[in-house]
Amino acid sequence: MPQHAAAGGTVSVHFVNNVLAAAASYIEEDPDAARDALAELGAFLTHRLRPARAVSLQEELDHVGVYLRLQEFRFPGRLDSDVPDGAVARILVGPGDVQRPVGAALDAWLARRPGRVRVRVRTAGDDLELHLDAPDTPDVAAELVSIDLTKSVRSSE
Amino acid sequence: MTTGLAILAVDDEPRALADVSRLLESSASVDRVATATSAKEALVSLSGGRFDALFLDVAMPEIEGMALARLLRRFADPPAVVFLTGHPDAAVEAFEVEALDFLVKPVTRERLDAALRRVEAHVQGADARAPGAPPADGDGGTAPDVVAVDNPRGGGKRLVRVETIAFAQASGDYARIVCEDGRFLLRTPLTQLEKDWATAGFARVHRAYLVNLTHAVELRAQANGTAVLVMRDGTEVPVARRGVAALRRRLHA
Repeated sequence: MPQHAAAGGTVSVHFVNNVLAAAASYIEEDPDAARDALAELGAFLTHRLRPARAVSLQEELDHVGVYLRLQEFRFPGRLDSDVPDGAVARILVGPGDVQRPVGAALDAWLARRPGRVRVRVRTAGDDLELHLDAPDTPDVAAELVSIDLTKSVRSSE
Repeated sequence: MTTGLAILAVDDEPRALADVSRLLESSASVDRVATATSAKEALVSLSGGRFDALFLDVAMPEIEGMALARLLRRFADPPAVVFLTGHPDAAVEAFEVEALDFLVKPVTRERLDAALRRVEAHVQGADARAPGAPPADGDGGTAPDVVAVDNPRGGGKRLVRVETIAFAQASGDYARIVCEDGRFLLRTPLTQLEKDWATAGFARVHRAYLVNLTHAVELRAQANGTAVLVMRDGTEVPVARRGVAALRRRLHA
């Protein structure tokens, strides 16, 4: 899917518009959910659209958490996500460096398979691993995606 | 106006589907809305009842919306297809499968109503224009979002967003459009474009020129009673003498 260039990374127009469509659907039946979706989208875009800078890996993982919550607004009940909170390597990365590969893998999974998906991000040495599996259908092969951070590590300058 | 449209909305994203079906259900011209969360479900619904149009998501698991639209073209009397998508770039493919309209999510009420008017016109058979074309006059119609022009880099058509077009210049029976991406031939007479784009900010300022006034930055009078419109990029478009007064009124100049 084409991406829109933005300061600090790229943001999928498709993703943003679909989150907005999901938020619109909550306005009448659950205004608080609509508000939360918009607040999370605001946080997502703030992380990505601020002037180019390096962020800590934990900030980026928090951003991945925001992304996954937004996906849950789009696909309620389909995602079971687990992202590290604290105790991750003290390195700097670019905004979106982890979210982009997580998003690509999750989009591909959701495009191929119905049903629930479990999303887990784990540290693996100096890198990260993304685990995807279908908890309700064990015969579906799990996926493991390595996220190589060596290309992402930024100077703190 | 025809009432009682039967619409099948198809989207794998339940919230987006809820949103568009709610909008459809509250439209005066719609009588019945059914929903499906996949192309397979849509085919089951189509086999069990008659629908005037599908409001169809482009990106879905297994069978994508575009593939379903291609399949529907094999039907003897297919329903009209209005695409829904989160990404406007898919409009190119939508044109190729002769979709009636193309909506970017989230959809505004106004835009949805415009799509429903096209469905009504399609159902009535009153719309003699090519699929995807806009209403021929300004009677409640809206200008199209995109037009298909000859692709100078080989076959097929290239889609150009009307808002990016600075002006169109008569070229024989056709029009040459000048837009942000270059110059392209559009196989439509300038007189027809004048009608189609009337609600999109265009003005016929010369027998050979139709100008998007939102792209003009200066109206410069000439000594002989004519004028020129200066466009953002500095291009000067002539304004016929007899059109100067009307243009000044329109611009409150």
